[in-house]
Amino acid sequence: MKKKILCVDDSRTALFMVTTILKKEPYEIVTAHDGQQAVEVASAERPDLILMDVIMPRMTGFEACRELKQREDTKAIPVILVTTRGEEENVETGFASGCNDYVTKPINAQELLAKVRDHIASREEAP
Amino acid sequence: MKDSRSGHGAYVRKVQEGTQSFTHDLLGELERLHVLVASLQVEKETLHDKTRGIQQVLSANEALRALAASLEAEMNRLHEQVVTLRAANERYEGEHAQLSAQLDRTRAESQSYSSRYAEIETQNSNLANLYVASYRLHGTLDRKEVIDTLQEIIANLIGSEEAGLYELDEHMQTLELIASFGLAPDAQRSVPLGSGRVGQAARSGEIFVAKPATSEADGGLNACIPLKLDGKVTGAVAIYRLLPQKSGFEEVDRELFELLATHAAMALYCTSLHARLRAQEVAR
Repeated sequence: MKKKILCVDDSRTALFMVTTILKKEPYEIVTAHDGQQAVEVASAERPDLILMDVIMPRMTGFEACRELKQREDTKAIPVILVTTRGEEENVETGFASGCNDYVTKPINAQELLAKVRDHIASREEAP
Repeated sequence: MKDSRSGHGAYVRKVQEGTQSFTHDLLGELERLHVLVASLQVEKETLHDKTRGIQQVLSANEALRALAASLEAEMNRLHEQVVTLRAANERYEGEHAQLSAQLDRTRAESQSYSSRYAEIETQNSNLANLYVASYRLHGTLDRKEVIDTLQEIIANLIGSEEAGLYELDEHMQTLELIASFGLAPDAQRSVPLGSGRVGQAARSGEIFVAKPATSEADGGLNACIPLKLDGKVTGAVAIYRLLPQKSGFEEVDRELFELLATHAAMALYCTSLHARLRAQEVAR
């Protein structure tokens, strides 16, 4: 069964880029365009991983991540934040919001795929 | 007669004495012989013991000989085994050397494949960037969406946090800022063609890339991409500050610049054309 990944970004170009990279692998992709929609889609679709931009309208990636980690039905889903700025304070804020990992823009396809594979494998191994 | 009797008595006495002496001697001799027999008996016993000891030694010797023979046979067998094993070892060493050489070759091949794979992955990733940029630019005839897409490409695919998009005003021969992000509100909104790095790049039609990437020189300009259609400059993209994690431009960025130079110009031109056609249709 294909693993499901929820990609969240308000930029259609960034979202298209991420889905283009992930489509090379046998993943099922679902998308959302802001944090609030991401929480709704995650709750409905129960993806195996969430890949989420930070700066978005309505609800930022940090806020959405906090929300997802508080909800019983979504808290176990690993979240990778896609940050524009990889500075330490942003990364710390990301981890404080409960994210499992982060990648910086511009996205490096190999790095992204490696992290996605790792987190999906860890989730499979988890009891 | 008396004389003959006394002679006879003397003779008897003499004989008796002789006999007694002989008997005494015989008894002495007998005693000596007894002693001799006893000593011979002891000697015989001793010799018997010695014989038994010698027999034991001989039988032990025989057993040792048998053992030595069996050990020699075992040694010969082991020697043969050693010879066989040496031959096998030599054969295995030869095979090991061959396998080592094969392993080295395989490792080298694997390394070469790995680096080739990484190269192809990078190429794939670069192609994905170019594909996404091209697909998004030509995916709409809406001017605002093309401009937004152009900015998203600069921010997300190139990795800049300050950029401006200029369009050429042919009549005024100036570049007019039509969109920007991250720039100060007092950013130069109109650039005369040929003025400054942006104006010069637009006039020459050549892509400008600061070497190395800068945050200070030329007002922090890192790259300027003249937008060209049919060899004619129609505008320019000015890229200023890069994202903190981006130390400079890579090959894929230069390819993106080349792509933007023509495709962005064409996409913008198509939106204008489309808008004109729509206006004409409405006018009819």
